Amino acid sequence: MIFLTLVLSTFREAVAKKIFLGFFAISTLIILIFLFLINVESVEGMVDMMGAAGDEGIRKLVIGFEVAMIDISYLLIITFCLISVSSFIPSMLEKGNIDLLLSKPISRTNIILAKFTGGVMLVFFSLVYLIGFVWIILSSKSGFWHFPFLYTILWLTLSFAIIYSLIIFIGLVSQSTILSILVSFFLVFIVCPILYVREATIFSLVENNVVQFIINFFYYILPKPSDINKITTNIITGEEVSSYMPVFSSVLFMLAVLSASVFYFKKKDY
Amino acid sequence: MSIITTKNLSKEYSSKSFSKEKILALNNFSFEVESGEIFGILGPNGAGKTTLIKILLGITHRTKGEVKIFDNEINTEAYKMKVGYLPENHKFPNYLNGEQVMQFYGKMSGMSSADVRKKTDELLKLVDMEKWRKTKIKKYSKGMLQRLGLAQAMINDPELIFLDEPTDGVDPIGRKEIRDILEDLKERGKTIFLNSHLLSEVELICDRVAIMHKGSLVKSGRVDEITHISDNYIINCSDVSEVIMNKLMMNFKATILSINEFHFKTDNIDELNRLIDFMRQNNILIRGIQREKNTLENMFINLIGSQN
Repeated sequence: MIFLTLVLSTFREAVAKKIFLGFFAISTLIILIFLFLINVESVEGMVDMMGAAGDEGIRKLVIGFEVAMIDISYLLIITFCLISVSSFIPSMLEKGNIDLLLSKPISRTNIILAKFTGGVMLVFFSLVYLIGFVWIILSSKSGFWHFPFLYTILWLTLSFAIIYSLIIFIGLVSQSTILSILVSFFLVFIVCPILYVREATIFSLVENNVVQFIINFFYYILPKPSDINKITTNIITGEEVSSYMPVFSSVLFMLAVLSASVFYFKKKDY
Repeated sequence: MSIITTKNLSKEYSSKSFSKEKILALNNFSFEVESGEIFGILGPNGAGKTTLIKILLGITHRTKGEVKIFDNEINTEAYKMKVGYLPENHKFPNYLNGEQVMQFYGKMSGMSSADVRKKTDELLKLVDMEKWRKTKIKKYSKGMLQRLGLAQAMINDPELIFLDEPTDGVDPIGRKEIRDILEDLKERGKTIFLNSHLLSEVELICDRVAIMHKGSLVKSGRVDEITHISDNYIINCSDVSEVIMNKLMMNFKATILSINEFHFKTDNIDELNRLIDFMRQNNILIRGIQREKNTLENMFINLIGSQN
C-alpha cells in the first residue's frame, strides 16, 4: 500500500511537471504524422503495389515501417524520458522532503524501488500509447496484424530501465539533475555507440591487445542499449538473434547499479 | 514510563567530503522522555538539536550509543507507524493542494483511504485550514504551511510527535492556536518532542526541557524547577530621599535602581517585613512588591554564556 502510494506519487509528479503531457503531445504528433504519411497517395500506391506482390510484400512494408518506428521511439525515450525523469531523485532528496519521507514506515530499499518502478511504469504506459496506436494504424491499414511489434514496448522499456537505474544512482550521489542527464547522455550517445562498433572500427585502428582488452572490458560491464535496439529490430524482422548476452549483461548492470543505489541510500545521513 | 531513552548517543560527521577531520554533532548524549509529556530541546544554532531528532527518527545514523523508543529499536516500520514528524523547513510537493498533502502522507503512514479521508477532514478543521484545502500549497503563506505541516504530523494519530520549529513563521495568534493544539494533544496522552527557538513559548508549554550545547547535554529538568522563583524582590515605591537610600543600601543591602525602585535580596520573610516596616515608618508609599522570576531565556543565556 505504502509502496504503491509512492509509485503513484511518481506518476502524479510526472503529470504535475507536464512530463506526461509532453510525452502525450509528442507521441500524438508522431502518430498523426504517421497517419498522414500512410494516407498520402504515394504511400497508398506503394501499399497497393506491395499488396499486388502478395502477403509477403505487405509484411515487408509493415515491418519496414515498424523498424523505423523503433528507431524513432528509441530516440524519443533517450531524449525526452531521460531528461524528464532525471529530476525525480534530486527533487525527492531536497531538504525538508526527504526527512519527512524517511520518517514514514517504508524502508529505504522500498523508496528506491518505488521510484524506479514509478519511472519505468511511466515510460511503459507512454510507450503503450505510442507503439500501440502506431500498431493499430499500421495493422488496420495493411490488414497485417504483426503482434511481435508490440514486444517493442517491453524492449524499449527495458532499455529505459537500464539507463534509469544509472540516473537514480547518479541522482543519489550528486543530487544533481543536470549531472544525471549529462552522464546518461554521454553514456548512451557517445560511449555505448562507440563500444557497439568497437570491433568494426576501433579495433581496426588500434591493434594493441591491452587497449583492446580495456575497451572490451568496458563494453562488457556497461549497458548496451544499442545492442538491445538491434536485438529488438531482429525480433521484429524475424532475423536470428545471434546472442542475448547484451540483454543479460545490461540487466546485470541494472541490478548492480540499483543495488549500489540502495546500499548508498541506506548508509547516507539526511 | 520512559518513551524515549538514549544512552551515550554520539554522532560524528566528516567536516568535508573525503576528509578525515570529524565534527562531533552529539557527544555521549543520554536523556529520557516520559510518556505523555511535552519535552523541549533547547540550544544555540549548531548545538545538535536537529541531529538528535533525525537520529531518533532514523533519518540520520548514530555513530555510537543506544536509542530505545517504545522499548523498540528505531528504524523499524512498526515504530514509525507510531510517530509523527514536522521537519524544520519542510517541503511538501508544491503541485499538491492541502487535502492531497494530507492524503499522500496519510497513505505513506500506512493508513487506509477511508481513515485518511476522515482524519483529513478532522485535522484541517483543527488547524483552521479547511477553507484552503483545495488550494495548491504553492500559494500558501509560511504560516499556512506550518499549520498544514502540523496537521500532517498528526494524520496517523501518533503516540509520539516530533516538532522541529513548529511555530516558525506563524503570527502570534497562530502560535497561540498551535500551543492550544499541543496542550490538547498532551491531554489526550500524546508525547510531544519539541524543538523551538522561541524560549518563551517553550517555557509556556513544555513540562521538561533539555539544554544542549556543542552536542552535549548541559542541563535538563522540569521547566518550573529551572525557572524557579529567585530570592530577589523588586520593590516599587514613592520617591525616596538620599538619606533613606543610603540607609536602604547600608542596613538592607538593597540595590537602588532609581529614586522609586530598588532590588532587595533575601530568603527570609521576616527580613522582608522589617524592610516594609522601615519604609512605612519613613512615610514611603509601597506601590508594589514583586518576586523576580528567572525566565527560561535568562537561564539559557547565562548557561550557554558560561559554557563559551
